[in-house]
Amino acid sequence: MAFLTLLITWINIATNALGKHAFSMIAVLPGWLSNTIISAVLGVIILLLIKYTSNQKAISQAKDYIKANMLALKLFKDSLAVTFISLGKLFKGVFLRLGLMLKPLLIMFIPFTLIVCQLGLWYQARPMTTGEEAMVILQLAGEIGSPMPNVAIQPTSAMDVTVGPVRAVSNRQVFWIIKAKENGTHNLTFNIDGQQVEKQLVIGEGFKRVSLERPGQNAYDIMLHPMEEPLKSDSIIQSISIEYPDRISKTSGTDWWVGYLTVVSMAFAVICMPIFKVKI
Amino acid sequence: MNFRNKNLKLLVLAIFIVFAMPRQAHAYIGPGAGIAIMGSFWVMFIALLSAFVALFTWPIRYVVRAIKHRKAFAKSRVKKFVILGLDGMDHALTEKYLAEGKLPNLAKLRQQGSFHPLATTTPSMSPVAWSSFQTGVNPGKHNIFDFLTRDKQTYSIKLSSVDIRGPRRVLNLGKYQFPIGKSDIRLLRKGKPFWKTLGEHGVFSSILRVPITFPPEKFRGVQLSGMCVPDLRGTQGMFSFYTTKAEGDSEHTGGERFYVTKDGNTIKSDLIGSENPMLKDNSVMKIPFTVTIKDQDTADLSINGDTHTLKKDQYTEWISVEFKAAPGVKVSGICKFLLLSAEPEFELYVTPININPEKPVMPITYPTVYSTYLSKNQGLFATLGLAEDSWALNEKVLIDESFIEQCLELDNEREKMFFDSLDKVKEGLCVCVFDGTDRLQHTFWRDIDEKHPARDKDYPQDRNVIEELYKRMDGLVARTLAKCKDKNTCFMIISDHGFNTFRHGIDLNRWLEENGYLKLKDDNREAKNLSNIDWSQTKAFALGLTGIFLNIKGRESQGIVDKGAEAEKLRDEIIEKLSKLTDPNNGDSAIKQVYNALKVFKGPYKGEAPDLIVGYNIGYRASWETAVGQTTDAIFHDNTKAWSGDHCIDPSLVPGVLFCNRKIDTEKPRLMDIGPTVLDMFGVDVPKYMDGKALAVGDTNNNRKTD
Repeated sequence: MAFLTLLITWINIATNALGKHAFSMIAVLPGWLSNTIISAVLGVIILLLIKYTSNQKAISQAKDYIKANMLALKLFKDSLAVTFISLGKLFKGVFLRLGLMLKPLLIMFIPFTLIVCQLGLWYQARPMTTGEEAMVILQLAGEIGSPMPNVAIQPTSAMDVTVGPVRAVSNRQVFWIIKAKENGTHNLTFNIDGQQVEKQLVIGEGFKRVSLERPGQNAYDIMLHPMEEPLKSDSIIQSISIEYPDRISKTSGTDWWVGYLTVVSMAFAVICMPIFKVKI
Repeated sequence: MNFRNKNLKLLVLAIFIVFAMPRQAHAYIGPGAGIAIMGSFWVMFIALLSAFVALFTWPIRYVVRAIKHRKAFAKSRVKKFVILGLDGMDHALTEKYLAEGKLPNLAKLRQQGSFHPLATTTPSMSPVAWSSFQTGVNPGKHNIFDFLTRDKQTYSIKLSSVDIRGPRRVLNLGKYQFPIGKSDIRLLRKGKPFWKTLGEHGVFSSILRVPITFPPEKFRGVQLSGMCVPDLRGTQGMFSFYTTKAEGDSEHTGGERFYVTKDGNTIKSDLIGSENPMLKDNSVMKIPFTVTIKDQDTADLSINGDTHTLKKDQYTEWISVEFKAAPGVKVSGICKFLLLSAEPEFELYVTPININPEKPVMPITYPTVYSTYLSKNQGLFATLGLAEDSWALNEKVLIDESFIEQCLELDNEREKMFFDSLDKVKEGLCVCVFDGTDRLQHTFWRDIDEKHPARDKDYPQDRNVIEELYKRMDGLVARTLAKCKDKNTCFMIISDHGFNTFRHGIDLNRWLEENGYLKLKDDNREAKNLSNIDWSQTKAFALGLTGIFLNIKGRESQGIVDKGAEAEKLRDEIIEKLSKLTDPNNGDSAIKQVYNALKVFKGPYKGEAPDLIVGYNIGYRASWETAVGQTTDAIFHDNTKAWSGDHCIDPSLVPGVLFCNRKIDTEKPRLMDIGPTVLDMFGVDVPKYMDGKALAVGDTNNNRKTD
């Protein structure tokens, strides 16, 4: 597991560089436009990946098999036997086709998840604006019931702590509510029994890369929140997260952006299928 | 099995990855997985919906049909009727091979049921005979008397079975013209196919490749049209031959020759399509292609953005080609390429460009999606009516072996669709016609006729393509019988006519000229399509393979013969003289009988028939020149072409065959009796207009019908 987290951490260094520069246009373009452009490019890449990693001849045969049996249902509808046989063959064809798509699906799975996680940094939340409040949650490691350490946020010109720290002993969490004061990318410093740990805080307008969480040594969390270096394995902190405000948009807003990306990339892939002669 | 194991592992891994991760990951794998999986789930949804609709409505449809057609249901003596049409299977030759024990499955069928000669039509040619088969009437009622007929106004030669015209109105836009409405494609065969009558009584039919069914007509069932379906260029089959050899004619009968040059090891040329209906100047559509020669036996063909490997003497698979008619408008066809020679001379044969069954530019099936179904089910297949390219063989572009291979591949395609139809149609009628029997007998009769002029001293003495063909058909019969085991299935094998040798061609127009009935404008004897005939002095002319037309006033635009007594006298006179025609080379009688159309045909269309039908004797047929409207300087011509057998002779000399898995108690069954027989077996009254009569077929395999 330690190797996996280390591997993902290294990969994140590369994907962060890609995410920062390749997607830098997101900062200057309207959200709908940047997401549409990215979706289109991703759709084409997906298509080409499918073309070169799948057995296109077998997929074509499976599609023909499915179509033939769909048409048999229509042409010989008066025969119950043909209806049942064609239906059985239809399902066989569908599963055959699904099976043939597994290889490209598995090949695409990790890289595309990494890319989408990078996009999540841009779209999933918006930065805090000055005067706006957000909750900071610090998850402590250790057994529930064991003594809680002293935790404090170092004062900074970027924000004010308006509430907290509030301790939830039952799930070993400490909460603050902070108020943004100064635009820019800042670091919040937490003092925990003499140890100092940092978490990035982004304040400003428009699209900026926002890390919702600094993860601990959890592979999935590290992949999903790639921007900040994971907390050390011996740290008494498991994770630190900030509940940034939602971005309100049907094309590039919180949660909606990934749906839009999915639909538009699929649409572009379908449109480009005959151009690249790809069978799906 | 390897495939399954590999995919099973992948499936398990995929499931593990997806379900081992929390929900947000499900959303994040969206784009890739969505594309991969969406299509399959959509298909599954549609399939379930279709199945639900089919299952839910089936009892209702069944009950309605049973009530509506209760009379036929009650009288029906079969559940399923299967007719295997073997075009041109000869009765005498079949008897010979049966006697020699070479056709064991047909022998078994004869023993179990029956075997008879099957009387063909007058004239004995496929379009006429199969039209009588499907309508149950004589040609006077279905209007098909030959492959070809004449335009009464212009005397030009035209197809007798179908008339294709473009849309009447077009929208002009710059150099383009956009058709408004559909092309007008008319089937000129009159009458009603018996499967349409069956459909009206609730019986489903699958009709595959029966000649003269283009364009397909609406009925209860599925149909793939056969003979007379044109190629993409609108012809009955135009092959292309590309060669670096400079000599030779650019025009072949049934094909075109293109001179190409080599640039290093590369040859560039164009595949020629039809005239572009979207362009005002109607220029032909072309697809550029490049052939790169690899070595003596292989080359790469690049066409339409795809590359295909050509191997010497091996046909490619069907290759889909798309001609661009206008921006966004494509015309799709299919063809096969055959590399005849790569070095030192380059020679490439391309089959006629068939209508693509997956995306047909004109309807070749009923319903239209049936051709898509067939192509998805079994892959692309030939759609051209006369798919076996005997012209390319006649013109010596194809060698014998390549032509035989082409016929075998086409028969395999046909067998796949036939057997699929046998599987799909559990109750009803299945008809499928195989043409290979006709084409191979036409082209290889020289194998069994030692006196044939087409045989030279180097002719392969021990080859017998015809015998192999009959044995192969016997194998097909065995495979078909295995699918017709049900005791309620009646199985028949029929042929539209038999076969015999074609040693000498008779130029009927020359005979008419010598006897004072036809006058040429000048001495040009190369002119085709009746173009050099002086109509003001011509009383009669020959066209097609058996017909002589009188040049009748008021019927033909430049007619000179009164249609009453003068015409009658002229008919009798020509019949008398022509019947005595003998071959000066051997003294043999060349004509068995000449038929007066007014006497042999009855029905509303007998006036459209040639006035006289010539029944040639064995060994003779209309010359190649007569068939294309040319007049030579001799009546008799040796036939040295590969096309060495024929059936366009006197009908009494070329009966077809009738096998049945039940006893048949009729003395002289005729092809036109088959339709009425099928109707009768399904409990449907035979319509009074039909000339055919229901044959007395036993109710079971061993019982004779007693009434």
